Amino acid sequence: MARSPLEYRTDVWVDWCPGCGNFGILAAMYKALGELRLPPDKTVIVSGIGCSSKTPHFIKVNGVHTLHGRAIPFALGIKLANPELTVIVNGGDGDLLGIGVGHLVALGRRNLDITVLLHDNRVYGLTKGQASPTLDRGLRPKALPKPNIHDAVNPIALALASGFTFVARGYALMAEHLKELIKMAVRHRGAAIIDILQPCVTYNNIHTAEYYQRRIYRLEEGVWDPVVRDPAERREKMLNAFSKAFEDGDKIPIGVFYQDPARDTMVDRFAERLPKYLESPPAHQKIEDEGRPIIDGEIFRKIFSNYVVETE
Amino acid sequence: MNMRKEVSLIVGGPQGAGLETTAQLLTASLARMRYGVISDREYFSNIVGRHSYIHLRASSEEIPRSLTYPIQIIGAMDHETVFTHFGDIEAGGAIVYDLSTEDKSLDNIPSMEKDLTSRLRQLFSSLGLDGSIRGLIRHVSSEMKVLPVALNYPELIMRIAEKISLPAAQAPRYVSAVVYGAIAALLGLSFNGIDYAIKMRFRERGDIVSINRMIVGEVYQMVKDKYDLPFSLQPSGLDHSEIMVVSGNDSIAMGKIVAGLRFQSYYPITPAADESFTLEANERISVEGVDLGAITVLQTEDEIAAMASAIGAALTGARAATCTSGPGFSLMVEGLGWAGMNEVPVVVTYYQRGGPSTGQPTRGSQSDLLFALHASHGEFPRIVITSGDHLEAFYDSIEAFNLAERYQMPVIHLLDKFLANSIATMPLPKLDHVRIERGKLVKEAVGERKRFDSSYPIPPRYLLGSGAITYHAGDEHDEMGHIDEDPENREKIYRRRMEKLRLADEEVPEEKRVFYYGDEAAEVLLVGWGFVKGVALDAIEELKRDGIRAAYMHLKFFSPFPSRFAKKMLEKFEAGKVISVEHNYLAQAAVVVKIHTDVKIERNIVKYTGRPIYLSELVGAVKKILGGERRVVLTHGP
Ligand SMILES: Cc1ncc(C[n+]2csc(CCOP(=O)(O)OP(=O)(O)O)c2C)c(N)n1
Ligand code: SF4
Ligand SMILES: [Mg+2]
Repeated sequence: MARSPLEYRTDVWVDWCPGCGNFGILAAMYKALGELRLPPDKTVIVSGIGCSSKTPHFIKVNGVHTLHGRAIPFALGIKLANPELTVIVNGGDGDLLGIGVGHLVALGRRNLDITVLLHDNRVYGLTKGQASPTLDRGLRPKALPKPNIHDAVNPIALALASGFTFVARGYALMAEHLKELIKMAVRHRGAAIIDILQPCVTYNNIHTAEYYQRRIYRLEEGVWDPVVRDPAERREKMLNAFSKAFEDGDKIPIGVFYQDPARDTMVDRFAERLPKYLESPPAHQKIEDEGRPIIDGEIFRKIFSNYVVETE
Repeated sequence: MNMRKEVSLIVGGPQGAGLETTAQLLTASLARMRYGVISDREYFSNIVGRHSYIHLRASSEEIPRSLTYPIQIIGAMDHETVFTHFGDIEAGGAIVYDLSTEDKSLDNIPSMEKDLTSRLRQLFSSLGLDGSIRGLIRHVSSEMKVLPVALNYPELIMRIAEKISLPAAQAPRYVSAVVYGAIAALLGLSFNGIDYAIKMRFRERGDIVSINRMIVGEVYQMVKDKYDLPFSLQPSGLDHSEIMVVSGNDSIAMGKIVAGLRFQSYYPITPAADESFTLEANERISVEGVDLGAITVLQTEDEIAAMASAIGAALTGARAATCTSGPGFSLMVEGLGWAGMNEVPVVVTYYQRGGPSTGQPTRGSQSDLLFALHASHGEFPRIVITSGDHLEAFYDSIEAFNLAERYQMPVIHLLDKFLANSIATMPLPKLDHVRIERGKLVKEAVGERKRFDSSYPIPPRYLLGSGAITYHAGDEHDEMGHIDEDPENREKIYRRRMEKLRLADEEVPEEKRVFYYGDEAAEVLLVGWGFVKGVALDAIEELKRDGIRAAYMHLKFFSPFPSRFAKKMLEKFEAGKVISVEHNYLAQAAVVVKIHTDVKIERNIVKYTGRPIYLSELVGAVKKILGGERRVVLTHGP
């Protein structure tokens, strides 16, 4: 049975602007965590810096609020050192696609089992409304003195190209749909990302709730099967996903773009090299015996015998 | 025949031509015969072609601690080596060179830096030399009684190659064997020692072992017959039955493994990356089929991620570290502050190289001390320790983790390229007294916990995955880890964080943080840190022979700084008789000493060319200071 979403609330006041799309994302997270029955002590939410990155303080699971752009590499260390933890990253579009985009690409290449929730409001909320990497060229949300001079990056295409094996898009104000996506992403073995369209009521007067309401449609409403069931299907499913990724403008698809559940994760790759990796990951290994190192002089001599010269 | 107590030599050649092999063979065979060895490797940031050399010192009486000039032997793999180093040879020394390069001229060495070419050109014209190897060799043998050991490398190798039908294209690979064989003969090394070294170097590769053995054997015999072992070392007076041959990178990797390192992240950079390679090669710690542990070694996308992932791993309780040099540490700095703010025990092994910017990537330096002490915005406590030699670095790398966990703060283990790349004989470390102290680690707990509980000077460290629910934030936070900017909270939590360093200062004995070597009644005090230790210790002995009583103060901890102890040592000396000896321009350690002891060190001997300080030049410089100079800038070494 699901746990109540209320179990995951903290008593920290949620200080987002009234009406902010982040509330929808938070609500979806509470429900998803509850339905997945994620144990709070074995779950870690890691975030960067931004309005969206305050999320961990509002959820009663372990929270690690890191540096701007760096949530992913913190999460990487946590997950590799203790793979039994469920690790979720929350971050803004500036955080994950601007300053920290290199880490996003690297996570895809590693296919490490982490879920990335990308709060895509197309602005830098916390620094008062500058253009983010998902804002199209020529647009001018209200805080901008001049129209945006950069082209936008396509988060779905970038994630696909990077090697994420679960790539989806959700909408902050469709909490039920988003909750299902989050559940799928967390359950997925491998690097997962959800590009979450998130209205910023204070700074983004272009991509408003109304804007999205008119354009959004669900992929699963049509004939759409994003799941790779056989390695032979990879190329075709990937190309389909890419083509959907560039469907933008009047119609914006949400739902799962691509899922490849069979790819080995970075934990699998380490487990292949280090046979006891899963049973005894870095976090759980015994390194001392009553204060003495487990490597004594004799063992040391054996381990490093290649470096030892026996004299004549 | 007069036997030598010690010998200094240089083996040089183009990068990528097997120089390392020669050095490894030499070191292993010397070690096999119980000689102590230290060697410095000098190279460019280049893969193939640029001049690189090994400067080695071997002794029958001790494990040498420093390098010195002049040298007795040059082993030249190519003619550039002869041109570059002939000036450093002692009268009566020997040059092993390739007879087939006799007509080569200084004018045609594209790999040589133009500064050196023009200096040499000037010198040659003042000496009336024609700029050829032939002319130069004739000059040094008549003017300096240098023994030319002329061998036709290609001919020699081809002669043997034909016997065993080795493809001609592979011949150049064996130049290192020729040079090694000749030097081994000049030094009078035993064939047993040579054989042992070849087997140790090439291990399973039996075919390579036998080819090398043939070439080395042939050259060895030739040189031995012709020259009668002119530089024979006297039998070793050392009495160990086994010894390790390691680089600084290796000894630190070994220390980290003993310390229980379980997660190491890195982004490749000179001169740090070799440490991670050694770790990765030993990722599975197993002895006779029994697994004792495993290290996750991860090459990240950049140093920012290296730092962040090491912190992440540390939050789960794994002993975690990253290693880098200056450019990488520059990128790690923001993460370092987060670790300070969140009281995370993470270890950064920091190998200094020449800066600023890309600087001199493959050369040594001690110019990042102030940076290591102050990097990152805001105030937070950190521990900064440095090591003077291979064995010290081994033990310090274990202590780094103990301190990090005991005081819940980042520890920077600050080293330099000199140590990282110098290959030396090192006694097997003694592990009986080594302790693993994990501090206030909580492996099992339940419910929400105050990770930053202010009722303790150092709070219990609830791990991610322990069963507790905790919060961490780079923002100022309350005891729970939630953002809190209340002034009273700020004051309380800030103070507790900062006070941990005072606690460390109280608890870590000062006599483990600074060391005094030498005569209690000395009149001159050298002050140094890191790799300066070896040369300073040798210098005080040599000065003693010249009637100058000198001592050496070795600084190991720069944070927390051993203020009282250091001050006491310093105040025993007249102001003009305290000299800081450092590999930087500012005499940075002297700056730190002034801050903490209010003692101003008014004399300094500095070197920032990227080459190590040599014994010969340090002794000379100390005498200059005693003669009234305030500062001596050293520049020796090509
Ligand atoms: C290294 C660094 N540079 C700049 C900042 C300032 N900063 C804080 S939040 C932010 C951008 C936030 O935008 P986004 O990541 O999209 O998150 P949002 O607030 O929109 O949720 C910036 C630039 C910082 N905290 N750290
Ligand atoms: S600025 Fe925008 S993103 Fe930030 S809290 Fe306000 S509405 Fe939300
Ligand atoms: Mg944003």
